[in-house]
Amino acid sequence: MLPTLNISGNLLLAERISTRTGKLRPGDVVILRSPESPRKIVCKRLIGMEGDQVTYVVDPMNSDRCQTVVVPKGHVWVEGDNIYASKDSRNFGAVPYGLLKGRVFWTVLPRKDFGSLAPKPK
Amino acid sequence: MGTPSVLWNVAKKCFTVGLVSLTVSDRFASIVSVRGGSMSPTFNPKTNTLFGSLSDDYVLVEKFCLQKYKFSHGDVVVFSSPYDHKEKHVKRIIGLPGDWVGTHYDVVKVPEGHCWVEGDNSASSMDSRSFGPVPLGLVNGRVVHILWPPHRVGSVERKAPQQRVSSS
Repeated sequence: MLPTLNISGNLLLAERISTRTGKLRPGDVVILRSPESPRKIVCKRLIGMEGDQVTYVVDPMNSDRCQTVVVPKGHVWVEGDNIYASKDSRNFGAVPYGLLKGRVFWTVLPRKDFGSLAPKPK
Repeated sequence: MGTPSVLWNVAKKCFTVGLVSLTVSDRFASIVSVRGGSMSPTFNPKTNTLFGSLSDDYVLVEKFCLQKYKFSHGDVVVFSSPYDHKEKHVKRIIGLPGDWVGTHYDVVKVPEGHCWVEGDNSASSMDSRSFGPVPLGLVNGRVVHILWPPHRVGSVERKAPQQRVSSS
């Protein structure tokens, strides 16, 4: 999740109300249970909600090939901000909404990043 | 003078009871009603008597299994539907990660972190045969006991169908 999050780790505040009320929007940073390993919680950015068309670069290290996919009902598309080194929906596919656990809204540590999180880098 | 303090005490007690029961049902165990006949005859078996078809089964769901996410073949679990996170389904785990499960048309390998669930009543059950393997992170708890109706109170057995699954 570079450059939004720090390479040596952050302390973040996440709230659990938005996931329950369904008020998440693309661009939010969310924490979710990994579909590949239920005991692991991962932090990614929400790119698309159900019904959205998402275009993504399949393998940014090796080529510029893009693919477009429609997010199925009840699912969301998440991607890390550092697409070169992120395992996200491009690898494990759209994630069922029930796996989302919370929305990150504030960085506590490191001190220089104290404040709300940056929007998605272009 | 007496009534506001009585009301305040009642309010405090209600709040405490509410908080305690919410914690217990979230972390330890909760009671859930089962609707539909997809798990018959284990839950809601179709009977001809008026008494049998009046109410749904109530079952005890334990949440201790969510500490380690370790399930066994044949466990009956409650999970959120992959298509609508507000809906919950009750089905039996047939395949665990790495297993090969045989469906009507072909053999499917259950991916890492997922499970294959099916209802006991294969004829009328929306399960992994329609929506594919379910991520284990969607599981909300494991059904351990039937609490209602009284003539069927008892623990829920772990029934693993051996013929259709081959473990790695």
